[in-house]
Amino acid sequence: MNKQLAMVIDSSACIDCKACTLACKVENNVPEGKWRNWVKRSEPDFNKPDWMVHSASFHFQPGGCMHCEVPTCVQACPTGATYKDEKDGAVKVDPKLCIGCGSCIPACPYGARYRHPTRNIVDKCDYCEKRRARGELPACVVTCPTKARVFGDISDPKSDAALLLKKNQSVRVINKESDTKPNMYYLSATAPLNWPVKARMPDPIQLWKMAGPLIWGIVGLNAIGVLIMLGKQILMNDKAPETDESHEETRQS
Amino acid sequence: MTSPIETPLSRRSFLKWSGAATAAAAVGGKAPVLYALTPDETKKSFAKPDSRYSVCGMCLNACGLVARVENGVITKLDPNQKFLKSRGMLCARGNAGIQQLYDPDRLKYPLLRKGERGEGKWERISWDQALDLAAAKMTEIAEKYTRCGVMFTPGSDSQSLFVHWFAEVFGSYNVSTHESSCLLSRNRAYLDTFGEVPFADVLHTKYIIVVGANPFEALITPDSIDLMTAKKNGCKIVVLDPRFTKTAGLAHEWHPIRPGTDMAFFLALSHVITSEKLYNETYSQEKLSGIEQLTEHVRQYSPEWAEKECEIPAADIRRIARELAAAAPTAIVYPGRRTSDYVNSTQIRRSMAIVNALLGNWDSPGGLLAARQVGLSGPELPEAPFYDDNPEHRLDKGMAKMMFEEEGAFKHMRDAIISQKPYPVKGWFVYRYNPLQSAANRQKTIEMMKQLDFVVTVDIAMSDTAWMSDLVLPAPSVLERQDPASGLQGSAACACVVARDPVVPALFESRPVFEILKGLAGRMKLTEYFDFTMEEYRKQQFKLLPDADRAIREDGVYYNPSKLYGIYEGKIYKTLSKKIELYNERYAQMGVDPIPVYQSPKPNPVNQFRLVVGRNAYFTHCTTQNNALLNELMPDNSLWIHPVAAKKLDIKDGERVEVTSNAGKGELSVSLNNGIREDTVYMASGFGVLSKGLTRVYGKGACIAELIEDYADDISGNMAMHETFIRVAKKGAL
Repeated sequence: MNKQLAMVIDSSACIDCKACTLACKVENNVPEGKWRNWVKRSEPDFNKPDWMVHSASFHFQPGGCMHCEVPTCVQACPTGATYKDEKDGAVKVDPKLCIGCGSCIPACPYGARYRHPTRNIVDKCDYCEKRRARGELPACVVTCPTKARVFGDISDPKSDAALLLKKNQSVRVINKESDTKPNMYYLSATAPLNWPVKARMPDPIQLWKMAGPLIWGIVGLNAIGVLIMLGKQILMNDKAPETDESHEETRQS
Repeated sequence: MTSPIETPLSRRSFLKWSGAATAAAAVGGKAPVLYALTPDETKKSFAKPDSRYSVCGMCLNACGLVARVENGVITKLDPNQKFLKSRGMLCARGNAGIQQLYDPDRLKYPLLRKGERGEGKWERISWDQALDLAAAKMTEIAEKYTRCGVMFTPGSDSQSLFVHWFAEVFGSYNVSTHESSCLLSRNRAYLDTFGEVPFADVLHTKYIIVVGANPFEALITPDSIDLMTAKKNGCKIVVLDPRFTKTAGLAHEWHPIRPGTDMAFFLALSHVITSEKLYNETYSQEKLSGIEQLTEHVRQYSPEWAEKECEIPAADIRRIARELAAAAPTAIVYPGRRTSDYVNSTQIRRSMAIVNALLGNWDSPGGLLAARQVGLSGPELPEAPFYDDNPEHRLDKGMAKMMFEEEGAFKHMRDAIISQKPYPVKGWFVYRYNPLQSAANRQKTIEMMKQLDFVVTVDIAMSDTAWMSDLVLPAPSVLERQDPASGLQGSAACACVVARDPVVPALFESRPVFEILKGLAGRMKLTEYFDFTMEEYRKQQFKLLPDADRAIREDGVYYNPSKLYGIYEGKIYKTLSKKIELYNERYAQMGVDPIPVYQSPKPNPVNQFRLVVGRNAYFTHCTTQNNALLNELMPDNSLWIHPVAAKKLDIKDGERVEVTSNAGKGELSVSLNNGIREDTVYMASGFGVLSKGLTRVYGKGACIAELIEDYADDISGNMAMHETFIRVAKKGAL
């Protein structure tokens, strides 16, 4: 069975301290005004008599990209930049292929994607791929005070995430009209539940018109790039570059 | 192409790289370019990161962290997973520590005031000029007004102990700390009940009453995290608060108690527990002093009586008393931290401590715990000089009945400086303390400063107090400092020792206060008192802990496996009766109520609201509001007001209002909130700043310190910040 990275969240442990959102922001250089993850909340029904004594409750629900089984964002992407990685089951954006058209943004029922204001690509959670390459957990998981977010390969029955799923009843938060089969599981009784929207898919012809010239442009530029690299290899006896991961982060200066 | 950036970054590029989040947003002017076409140098990978242990300094909890350093730049702070006190976590503020380090708003070099105070005209001077000037001014004041003519106010910081030491050798007793705006009344109350200030074993408790505290927002490690674990393990949480805080919202019960009536609730608990004999008779015979007096005293305080005061139904009070007693001694009335609320805040906390004592929630699992042995030694320092022309006492002596001499009472100190009685104080040395934002009645602090000839502030950023000073000296963040060792009490989690070493070199011209004080001592013929290095100081601290130094290097922390429970078995208590005192004999001798006597709080004047202070998880007092990462979570403050109250004033959600008290005024927007009593309003601290050096937060919101009137607890001198009523009106309607 293939690896399937997933997050299993006990939202009843969340205290809405926002450690996960800031840890993510720093780790992934998420620009001001944008977030890769979030904490949603549900409030008590203040109109219910006696609500304060016996049913007082906030419920906080941490979230982020759900790395879905049936990702509508992948379907919406005209260039193949957004894809589901078969190696680990995560949904990823290849910044080299992304043209920043934004078609995937409304196609995500969860609002997990944003257009990066300076990089001109669409960005979202990648389960902290660089951290994982170093053997570390995603930033949001490791920093959480109450360890509400549990991360792991749910195909591996011995992983913490799989064990937690096995031991508890869980739910997936979806919009019924766009069930993307998220790989984010909430231990039951999470709230709120009604916030995902219907996925809005791009009109295919519009999309082609919009993306076509850009793609041809990229193909052309790639060809030039290949020639330059070839020339460089022939002319300069340079050491082979370190292989970069697909998600190399740029820093804006 | 072969290697990442090899040359060390200049300071200029540090700043450019810093706080990538803000920097990225700030370059919006750049023409859009496809990422695939961007030049390769922006995509270069970094050298293998280096991980270094340190300890967070964003608040006073001192949580363990691991800093990731890439090419000399800290790129991420992660929790130290081996750090038991913080349960291997790092909160939002901890994560934002990186922004404090690389914040463009940081103070960079010594600044001398040029225009009027607060005008914001500064001249950059050298460190030699700055230290020469400060030493000359302080000496001049000492000669004219005695050495007590300089006040020292160290904030909560691991180097503050050197400010205390400097004040002592300089010769001033006038030291006033942050604590008199915080928890002195709690400390007083528990010292006068148990003989020491306890820690709460939240992790193992089965029943906890949280009053006037908010541990799920005002994070305390390990308590806040342990509270959630305890809840998962079946602990019942009961919250009494005029505000529906996140703690209230995650509790089993929330009772919106009438502000200022907590004592009525706890006296009524004592009433039920004594009248129904719900306490352990043998325990009370052995350990407690004053059970008869208490039983007699609380007879008058029935739940039915308390209901009228607290607005909590008598049946609930009785039920909670019985539930708490049934869970005891694995039960806690949570002592909390900031208890600077009412003029009788010590007695309010005494009423809570008494319930804990009565039920034996003490020195055993799930109750209150005595301090554990940490094992640090106090370094041997030369005896401080004696100055025979000094006045006999500190300035605020006798202004509270039982003040902590080493902490002082800022409110009283300020009053004495304004009135110049009993003697004048004309100089002020400020270290990471910001009373213009944290002390009630900002106008009075400004008035006090008018009496002063020289004010020097050492801080990381241009706080309001720095802004109003004559000389401002830049301090580094904790990630750039070498610090003395600190012992930490981690309740059931641990007793531990931490000590910081610089993760990166200090930026700009910033200097740790230890170096600043050494520089001053050298200029004041006090060299011999600061004739030691930080290594030497630390070595002496570790005298009895041979393994500590290595453990801190290897794990970032040293644990002392000292005794946790039963510390007082077979021992006497540090009280007059040598027992836990329900009835305090010393109080009786001093004419203070030996058992708390209830006084009803002042009623709300017509159409006025009681203003309460409270914390959230993003801000440490008034220090982190300008941090770009945290500021984004809450860029402004607003006035919480109940919709019913707002409707009476014809105020809509988001509308701007003017707020006025007898101390001052402000303007901010309102947020209608069902989670607050109709007679109470709330706003976050740290906004409405004076300092234009805090560029993100300047011009935002209203300043709560401007509105709060200055009262103090009459026993401890702790500031009383919930005694203020304010008027609220639509903007322009007043």
